[in-house]
Amino acid sequence: MLSRVADSLYWMSRNCERTEHNAHILSMQLITILEASEQEISAGNDWETVLDICTSKNSYYSFYEALTFEKVVDYLTFSKENPNSMANTVSFARENARITRNSIPNELWEVWNEFYLYLQNAQKAKNCSLKEIHDFLNNIKKSSFTATGVIDSSMTRDLPYHFMKIGKWLERAEKTALILNVFFQKSKHANQSAMDDFFWRSALQFVNGSETYFKHFPPVINPRSVLQFLVSDLSFPRSIRYCMEHVWEAVKGLESGKVSHYSWQMYALLDTMMTEFNEEYISNLADEEVEDFLIQSLNRCIEFGKVFSKTYYLVEREHSV
Amino acid sequence: MFKPYEIGPYFDEMLDQNGNPKKHYQSFYDVLQDLSEEELKEKQETANLSFLRQGITFTVYGNDGGTERTMPFDFIPIIIPAEKWKEIEKGMIQRVKALNLFLDDIYHEQNILKDGIIPRDLVEQNPYFYYRQAGGLEIPLQNHIFLAGIDLIKDEHGVYRVLEDNLRNPSGMSYVYQNRYVMRQVCPEFFSEHSLNMLEQQMGHLHSALMAHLPKNASITSDPRAVLLTPGMYNSAYYDHVFLAQRMNISLVEGRDLLVKNNIVYMKTIRGLKRVDIIYRRIDDDFLDPKAFRKDSRLGVPGLVDAYRAGNVSIVNGIGNGVADDKAMYAYVPDMIKYYLNEEAIIPNVETFILRDPHQREWVLEHLDELVIKNVGASGGYDMLIGPHATDEELILFREKILENPNQYIAQPTIKLSRAPVYQNGHFYPCHVDLRVFVMKGENINIFPGGLSRVALKEGSLVVNSSQGGGAKDTWVLKEEMQHAEQGS
Repeated sequence: MLSRVADSLYWMSRNCERTEHNAHILSMQLITILEASEQEISAGNDWETVLDICTSKNSYYSFYEALTFEKVVDYLTFSKENPNSMANTVSFARENARITRNSIPNELWEVWNEFYLYLQNAQKAKNCSLKEIHDFLNNIKKSSFTATGVIDSSMTRDLPYHFMKIGKWLERAEKTALILNVFFQKSKHANQSAMDDFFWRSALQFVNGSETYFKHFPPVINPRSVLQFLVSDLSFPRSIRYCMEHVWEAVKGLESGKVSHYSWQMYALLDTMMTEFNEEYISNLADEEVEDFLIQSLNRCIEFGKVFSKTYYLVEREHSV
Repeated sequence: MFKPYEIGPYFDEMLDQNGNPKKHYQSFYDVLQDLSEEELKEKQETANLSFLRQGITFTVYGNDGGTERTMPFDFIPIIIPAEKWKEIEKGMIQRVKALNLFLDDIYHEQNILKDGIIPRDLVEQNPYFYYRQAGGLEIPLQNHIFLAGIDLIKDEHGVYRVLEDNLRNPSGMSYVYQNRYVMRQVCPEFFSEHSLNMLEQQMGHLHSALMAHLPKNASITSDPRAVLLTPGMYNSAYYDHVFLAQRMNISLVEGRDLLVKNNIVYMKTIRGLKRVDIIYRRIDDDFLDPKAFRKDSRLGVPGLVDAYRAGNVSIVNGIGNGVADDKAMYAYVPDMIKYYLNEEAIIPNVETFILRDPHQREWVLEHLDELVIKNVGASGGYDMLIGPHATDEELILFREKILENPNQYIAQPTIKLSRAPVYQNGHFYPCHVDLRVFVMKGENINIFPGGLSRVALKEGSLVVNSSQGGGAKDTWVLKEEMQHAEQGS
């Protein structure tokens, strides 16, 4: 397979995942702000948090002076300026799907193409009412689910499939690591245990993990349990470990389970990551080690992306999470 | 329910002078009569939506960058009876054979120039004559034309004529398949009454023809590898490239995916470099290799032409084909057929005046308002004058253009292009049509049954090009048995 095509498949998949997850985060946020108290909102700088997770608050401030509801929502959804706006990540995914039409099921291309056509119309007609935003986010969600269904039910398990899977799971792992980092920093600066609770709840909601978490743990937030859960739970499909396990599976699929002179670095890094994301490793961490551990986890994910791209001669691109 | 229209002085594909269906359209016509207005509308809408959903679009470049558009589709097919098609096939085989012999000749001995059949300067001053890059080469099968698209029209008497030869990168084959595919989805009831030539085997023929172009020094250690070289997704024919690569099961590569090392072409894969033997390129000569052609080309592959000249890789269609398919050379194709094959052209040309000839030029300038003037280097309906529809300013402008640069233009009589009914926006009306026939050449010549019927959907318009509002129709070539059965009944 051409390196360029592999690269496009990988980025198509990352951008689909990014779009879906950012849509989820924004819909969670739209619900949260209804219930949050004034204090929580101002102290938490909620929208800045969302910006940091979905794109970057600095990039936002390079276009706008102040945070307003309309502007932030537009920046996250339809904006052309924000490279990580959903309109942009979807267009990018669709562009990559177009490049790789010969490697993916036709129906997959049609899902993203149809969404793109819908988006063109939505962008023309937009006035950013809440209803429009909700429709838009729902539409993303449905398209994502359909795309996932097409991939899982009809794609041949060969090279293109594995490249797409690596993109998807790595994007997820990285996002969870990022969310943990952002909320850890928030909670560290807040210095209030009541706020702690709020932050970690938000973290769980942003990774769509509240339901599962409260099935496993008592209905009181324990930061160490949240950390344990989001990093190493093997049954939760957005924990870093779960995601990296699946990256590993896909790498094995690519390499038919063999380690070669060109792929050993990738395997070595995976080994390290699997050790570090293990329950035992995390429960042995002292409280003051958590911050560094979280930063390191995110860096490991980013590093893996680089090693992976190098291994398959993929074109290195700007890393934009 | 079909509503007849005025036939006028034109040849109509479906109807005779009295507005009754022709014999080969009778069964189709009967089914059409049974459809309600609503059913017709629904068919038209579903068809066009289907192209959009599948993203079968071409890119039109305008003020605001590129926009993606679908080619409008009309569900009333062009139906061609078997015996008529046989004649077209013979004509196409003859024409492409002669054109290939011409190309091989002018890039080697140039006998046709020595014998004075074609003026030497017409070849040597042609901007697409690339002797330095393509001269004196022994290319596989001595074949310069792997895939040709020959555009045919019918005049007012219903006689097929060649309007244009496309020997470089004719596009549109994917549309033929998609038109048929959409047609089957939207109008299944039409098919039950007909026995058609199928399109399915054709991709096999195309693939064999491609693989027959094995270069002299092909790698012997591995199976030959062919690729389709595309300018990329912003090219207006990108869908065509995607489709052909997929159906032939070859990699779709861009220039940046290829690399030439020691005159051998490689593609960059996830497992390193892999040798490439055959390149079906859909990039124009000019952009193919910045070392041999335009230095500013970022689409091409540096060193490709050297690898080609060394016999390490095949490039189809051949380099330098443009000299044979421009509008000035077109006028001489019947002479080529005579010269190389000693035959008369089976499918005639449209009468063409060569403006370098002072007598013809003088006559043409006196009759500008009756003629069509075309720039020999332009395509897609650009830089063209349609005399009877032109304003005084346009006539003056083209008179100046011709006087300034007579070699650059040809003139043809305005032909009453045949028409066929279309159904658009809720009503039936007649539109001008043409037909692009695809000719594949490997060991043998094979003609793709049917081809791309293009239609000028704007009422009264003569321009069928998709970039100027043209649309497409499905093309049916009837099978012989069917017609015999009909005659017997």
